[in-house]
Amino acid sequence: MKHTVRLIIFISLIPFFDLSLKAFGIYAGLGANPVETIIHTTGVWGLRVLIVVLLLAPLGYFSGLELFRQFPKPLGLVAFFYSLMHFLSYAIIDQSGDIKIIIVDIIETPYLIVGWGGFLCLFFVGIASHKRLQTWFNKNRSTISGIVYTSAVLAVWHYFWQAKTVEIEAVIYIFTICVLIVWRLKVSMVKN
Amino acid sequence: MPFLIKNEKKIKSSEITPEKTYLNRRTLIKSLGILSAYTPVSSVLAENDKINQASLTFEKNSKFSTTETVNSFEEITTYNNFYEFGVGKSDPYRYSRNFKPKPWTVSVTGEAENTGTFAYEDIVASNQLEERIYRLRCVEAWSMVVPWVGISLMDFIKKLKPNSKAKYVVFESVFRPNEMPGQKRRILDWPYVEGLTIDEAMHPLAFLAVGLYGRELTNQNGAPLRLVVPWKYGFKSIKSIVNISFEEQQPKTTWNLAAPNEYGFFANVNPEVNHPRWSQARERRIGSGLFGAKQPTLMFNGYADEVSGLYRNLDLRKNF
Repeated sequence: MKHTVRLIIFISLIPFFDLSLKAFGIYAGLGANPVETIIHTTGVWGLRVLIVVLLLAPLGYFSGLELFRQFPKPLGLVAFFYSLMHFLSYAIIDQSGDIKIIIVDIIETPYLIVGWGGFLCLFFVGIASHKRLQTWFNKNRSTISGIVYTSAVLAVWHYFWQAKTVEIEAVIYIFTICVLIVWRLKVSMVKN
Repeated sequence: MPFLIKNEKKIKSSEITPEKTYLNRRTLIKSLGILSAYTPVSSVLAENDKINQASLTFEKNSKFSTTETVNSFEEITTYNNFYEFGVGKSDPYRYSRNFKPKPWTVSVTGEAENTGTFAYEDIVASNQLEERIYRLRCVEAWSMVVPWVGISLMDFIKKLKPNSKAKYVVFESVFRPNEMPGQKRRILDWPYVEGLTIDEAMHPLAFLAVGLYGRELTNQNGAPLRLVVPWKYGFKSIKSIVNISFEEQQPKTTWNLAAPNEYGFFANVNPEVNHPRWSQARERRIGSGLFGAKQPTLMFNGYADEVSGLYRNLDLRKNF
């Protein structure tokens, strides 16, 4: 079981390794706009992993496999890792680490406010999942999962909003997240 | 006396890929199917693409050219917005191979004396080709410096003799969904339409490009004939033009129809008027590297001295 979890974590980090190798020019470059490539890749993988995290609940529910209960925490941390890389590459590389400029840019760019909100949600969950807070974390599981769903909504909104036109990929993610939320609400209503 | 002859670049004949081998490689890459979508863009392939384009005879127009560092052929031909071939930046490079820019005709309609259909060769051969190195500023806040080859739009329009009713010049791109995979979906209202006021079109800076880096335009850059309006956001510079029409009314242009509050008819580069969703104050110059800082965007993309007179009586905030 532990090995399976490790393997999945490793697989989920492959896009990050790929990006790092490209950044050092090992087998290909990052294209004409390397900054954009890094920001986009880390961001979109953060969202994809987050959606996988949300998918784990119905998968575990319908299959009854204990295995799926092992993943949410480590994969959630991977999603947080990608979104942290996403934010840091924006702040440090794209905006040259200038706090004043970053604040003005976030205020002027509505989709950045939304993305920032999603990032804060994940950041909060990341801290709450620390070992020392385990009892508190376990007591407030439904709140925590609510925050994770919120971060997914904000992340996909951020992704959809930054594009110039409606992108199929964004539409697929929006649809998936909506279905997952509806399913989750139904299950919790049945429970109560 | 061999040492008297000085070659700028020494290329051994053994280093040149024979055309057949090169074409075989291409076919191999293509036949890999799905994998080809992940073919990394390489400078070797870009260099081959460059050699494949026919070279042009032209004069350098230094009066209208910037002295800033020019972007590489690879950058200019692998990072494009040309939604007819897909919305991704490298889609035009990857999916424009089946497009056939020749033979080509442009039809001229509307309020002008010399309307009709013109062959590409008539448009280009009857004019002196010149090279102009222009800045290009995309509405997405990135920029490049491109060495275009082409003809002055003003010279071309003069030959068409528009009448006094011609207030606007409307351009239309080709519609060929079988050769342009992006057109199979209605991401935008095809065919792509753009327009200029007659005064803008008659401005000496407005340019009809047929080439790039001294060679004919690559498909992904708008072959065989495209507009270049350096003081406006890139989406105004319509590619692969098949129709030019002189009209009395302001045309409905593609991006303006797609999002009227985001993309205006004028679309002049203006650091003071933000896009509703992002700032236009700064831009990322392609090629500035991983840690290159963004640079401030200039009014009218740095062409304010030349073009601000066109907009003296216009509220640029309202007419964005």
